[in-house]
Amino acid sequence: MIVASWVCLFAPLGAAVAITLGGNLWSRRAAGYLATASVATSFVASTIAFFSALGREHDDRSQLSTAWTWLSAGNFHAGLSVLVDPLSILMMLIVSGVGALIVAYSIGYMDGEDEERRYFAYMALFVFSMLLLVQSGNLLLLLVGWGLVGLSSYLLIGYHHERPAAVAAAKKAFIMNAFGDATMALAFFLLIQRTGSLEFANAFAWAGGSTGSWAVNLVALGLLGGAVAKSAQLPLQTWLPDAMEGPTPVSALIHAATMVTAGVYLLVRTSTIFEAAPRVQDLAAGIGAATLLMAGLIALVQVDIKRVIAYSTMSQIGYMFLGAGLGAYANSMFHLMTHAFFKALLFLAAGIVIHALVGEQDMRKMGGLRRFLPRTYFAFLVGALALTGIPPLSGFFSKDSILASALAAGTYGQILFVAGLVGAFLTGLYTFRMVFMVFGGEPSPYAREHFHRPERSEPWVWMGSTVAVLSVLAVVGGWVQIAGIWHPFADFLKPTVEPLVDPSGAQDLLASVLAVGLGLAGVSIAWAIYSAGTMTAPAARPVRALFEHKFYFDELYDRLFYRPGDRLARALGDYLERPLILGSVNGIAVGARRIAAEVGQFQTGLVRTYALAVAGGVAVLSLVFVWVK
Amino acid sequence: MGPGLTWYLAVSAFLFAIGALGVMLRRSPLIVLLSLEIMLNGANLALITFSRHHGQLDGQVFALAVMAVAASEVVVGLGLIVAVNRRKLELDVDKLSTLRG
Repeated sequence: MIVASWVCLFAPLGAAVAITLGGNLWSRRAAGYLATASVATSFVASTIAFFSALGREHDDRSQLSTAWTWLSAGNFHAGLSVLVDPLSILMMLIVSGVGALIVAYSIGYMDGEDEERRYFAYMALFVFSMLLLVQSGNLLLLLVGWGLVGLSSYLLIGYHHERPAAVAAAKKAFIMNAFGDATMALAFFLLIQRTGSLEFANAFAWAGGSTGSWAVNLVALGLLGGAVAKSAQLPLQTWLPDAMEGPTPVSALIHAATMVTAGVYLLVRTSTIFEAAPRVQDLAAGIGAATLLMAGLIALVQVDIKRVIAYSTMSQIGYMFLGAGLGAYANSMFHLMTHAFFKALLFLAAGIVIHALVGEQDMRKMGGLRRFLPRTYFAFLVGALALTGIPPLSGFFSKDSILASALAAGTYGQILFVAGLVGAFLTGLYTFRMVFMVFGGEPSPYAREHFHRPERSEPWVWMGSTVAVLSVLAVVGGWVQIAGIWHPFADFLKPTVEPLVDPSGAQDLLASVLAVGLGLAGVSIAWAIYSAGTMTAPAARPVRALFEHKFYFDELYDRLFYRPGDRLARALGDYLERPLILGSVNGIAVGARRIAAEVGQFQTGLVRTYALAVAGGVAVLSLVFVWVK
Repeated sequence: MGPGLTWYLAVSAFLFAIGALGVMLRRSPLIVLLSLEIMLNGANLALITFSRHHGQLDGQVFALAVMAVAASEVVVGLGLIVAVNRRKLELDVDKLSTLRG
């Protein structure tokens, strides 16, 4: 179990280093094969860890293994250690499993790019960072992984470094994430000051003993800040849609399946701290509900296929925050897993569409692609139905169990439950708006002209087969837990986190019926507007503009932070730097030159004046000596 | 015994002054070099005088070294003068001032 988890952690790092150092020694394909093989190794290792954990007693399933003391300062020590427990094994399986599929898909998707090797090295680095994040045995190492996934996300968003929009998006993502990293670091400083260590056990013991104190509230707030930034929740959500500038498999792996869900993992992992600060935990749930509504509304008017899926990711992570904030940890993790399957599926299927239309992402130009890409249409439909939560696909089981938990969590939970239901309706609406716009109807003239039929070549086989595997997972992924009847998933996580809420069978049933009904209502309205044409979308210009401008968050941040900062920097430049610093340096230079010009006058070039000066000097010196004597 | 220490030093100072005036006042590089030699020999005379006065050989050895240096310096100086002359430049130290800063 321990050995397997170390292998799992370091296999992708090895691949990243080998590809980086090997350079041209690797052919382009070989770099892709190596990256895929390393992530697949990780997956095999985590499967071994999983079964070896299953073979143990419940209390024995959590193991901390320290390689060496990595850092020590005074009384503070932090080891390079991994924590292997059901929660981290689950995350390892998701990250390496979905990761291996997406990296394999990339072999096809990135075929023919100029810098494939760089891409695969970054991908392997990302998988390593994400595994470090979920396996870390103490909070310090978790922060290291947290920063590293931010870095690899930055590198991959900016992969097309010749496109200014990609570079800007990469910077935006990095800065927003750095904000979260900073609040987390502050929380850790406070923890070190209070407990003198960043071990999970010590931190949890301290939090349990000081429930409701201001320190524990501050620590929880700091952690929540990190989670919110990484998972693109309100108010730090604006980087995620822009991050779609990266290649599509990157969006699938980092900005849908794994990295953005790290915030949910953090909420669950440090649930003891959040339980000691109930107000902050409620805040997390509220943020989730607000985000899922807002992202759902924005997704209704987006025209870029990847951005619609990105907003739907934000919205689904909102559900997970809602669940984790209300204490439905297992349900939240369950939704994280199924979401990883169907969202990766949607992104990869969208990648095939984009590839077949030679890079076009605007849905208004698409249409009728069902004729051209029947199998992709089927896969996309499976993903869309799973996302909407239609039984018996995976999204149904996971989303509805979160909603049922909300229903069971008191008045506050019931308010959020309503928000979740509205979100379910919106999910059906925007998802099937996308399906009908891309695949439904007659082929659009643009699609007819630019469609580029996939050939039966190796790249297409990689892309097609991984999408097929993910389709199966999106269908069956939810069957490991059926609310109220069968719950091996929650049982597996029980040694790590105990849920705070336990919905009754009636609540489960009510939540399922309402959510499925509203989801289907959304689907049928989408059908009426975008397929049958019996309804038209309401014009409502001001509302539409509000959604299209993403609730004016970018504009607000521009006014609030960018412009004042820019103005301050300019003012400092004009009134401080130029006169004071540049002025003083230039002044010294000008002064030196002026003095040199004056002194230069003495250098006449006439030997006689030099001789006279020497003689005069000697005469003066002799006089001085005589006089002093 | 002959003349005393003072006389020797007076002659030495006189030679040195003549040389210095020559260096400062004359324009011909040849004469300047000649005046330099006179200065050096004035200094040599002072060295030898003190050497005799103290009964030690150090001053005389030093005078020999000065002569050797003077000889080599004259070689360089004369070489320069010949080179200047070859390029048909006027032999006037005041005009050879292009190397000033």
